[in-house]
Amino acid sequence: MYLMQSKERAAIQGYGAYVPYYRLPTTEIAKVWKGGGSGPNVEKAVAAMDEDTVTMAIEAGRYAMKMAGTERLGAVFVGTESKPYAVKPTSTIVAQALGQHHTLAADLEFACKAGTEAMQIVTGLVGSGMIEAGLAIGMDTAQGRPGDDLEYTAASGGAAYVIGRKDKKSAAVIDCSTSFVSDTGDFWRRAHERYPRHLSRFTGEPAYFHHIENSVNTLFKETGHKPSDFKYAVFHQPNPRFPVEVATRLGFTMEQIKTGLLNPLIGNTYAGSSPIGLAAVLDEASPGDKILLASFGSGAGSDAFCIEVLDGIAATRGVNPTVKSMMERSTRIDYSTYSKFRDKLHK
Amino acid sequence: MAIRHWRVKDRYYRLIGSRCTECGAECFPPVYRCRKCGSEKIEDREMPQSGKIVTYTQLHEPLPGFEAQAPFYLAVVELDNGAKMLTQLVDSTDESVKTGAKVVATVRRARVDGDSGQITYGYKFRVT
Repeated sequence: MYLMQSKERAAIQGYGAYVPYYRLPTTEIAKVWKGGGSGPNVEKAVAAMDEDTVTMAIEAGRYAMKMAGTERLGAVFVGTESKPYAVKPTSTIVAQALGQHHTLAADLEFACKAGTEAMQIVTGLVGSGMIEAGLAIGMDTAQGRPGDDLEYTAASGGAAYVIGRKDKKSAAVIDCSTSFVSDTGDFWRRAHERYPRHLSRFTGEPAYFHHIENSVNTLFKETGHKPSDFKYAVFHQPNPRFPVEVATRLGFTMEQIKTGLLNPLIGNTYAGSSPIGLAAVLDEASPGDKILLASFGSGAGSDAFCIEVLDGIAATRGVNPTVKSMMERSTRIDYSTYSKFRDKLHK
Repeated sequence: MAIRHWRVKDRYYRLIGSRCTECGAECFPPVYRCRKCGSEKIEDREMPQSGKIVTYTQLHEPLPGFEAQAPFYLAVVELDNGAKMLTQLVDSTDESVKTGAKVVATVRRARVDGDSGQITYGYKFRVT
């Protein structure tokens, strides 16, 4: 058995997303670097110059705690690959801002799947009875080398989840999950390097598709679930094409993935990508709906979750801004402003 | 990072102000003596995270360390409990910044120390 399932069920008690205010149309990138800009990825979310993973994690964390109605967290984990400090935890700054001191705080790194790792670890801590509730955050200010393919999608944003023991107030139960990893060199960033590198033809078949198909098929095999059991499915979305392709291969329809497919309008928020897709689904899901969540992190690995929405979801409505409303509250910027905001220009 | 900031970071992260246990007046930043009744019976109190703009200006020549963000708006904001504070406005258009506009608190980078590279975070507000 490869299935991970806590003896005492853990559940999402509250969640919060964060999408920064600024959008860079991909046509702006194409103007400067020639090529692209006409595909399905329309624009990407860009953090302001005074924002970073810490500030955005605090925003999402505050929303999640407000929805959960909790003031005490036994764990604060931030999954990210864009830590403001190479040495000094992001999670302690976030914990302090959330008023948490007697808590287990750590930063997790696994490229784009660090956020779902945080969810699995908090689920384990809650399920074992070690803590009452913990906060799992997936958040990034992703960077792409100027002119690189990644620059068209590398974006900022993410989501936070307060996970606690399942009770009558729970929004959704985390029923079980699986993980699949291997040593795959599809995408990396060495120490002291500013931008990641990638092996283009490795990013698809041996990386994204191989790992997600393995984690999801293992989940299906060991739970007996099939794609039609799920009302929604959310896959990691490095670009608009991969999640649609992997969904089709696994037997899901566009109808099942469209709600959580945000890449065309906000880009790839890396560790925040699948968590914010899940938040968009929870914004509209109903009790009894099953959600399949599958992340992917380069290097490489995938976590797949089976999540079921509970009656408590009704009480979450209107507590926080929806992902859709955050996406709509935006303003477009040009490539020059983006370069200044994201520290690509120096005086 | 300035040690002064480290000692009072809850003020900057969570808007920790004061509440007078005698008359109930709340104020920000924290005080040792109530501005309303003079009592020294003061306790820490987390301020509301929302309020409205009382007055504002646009800054084109900011203090050292803030030049890259110029021009930006500075505003006096009245929180929902009546406490007033001077703060920077972010993510807000010229059309949305006006007297009486509703604002909410956010945590942002305030500045980065030029020599040590340490980041100072603090509250700012945005128009809702």
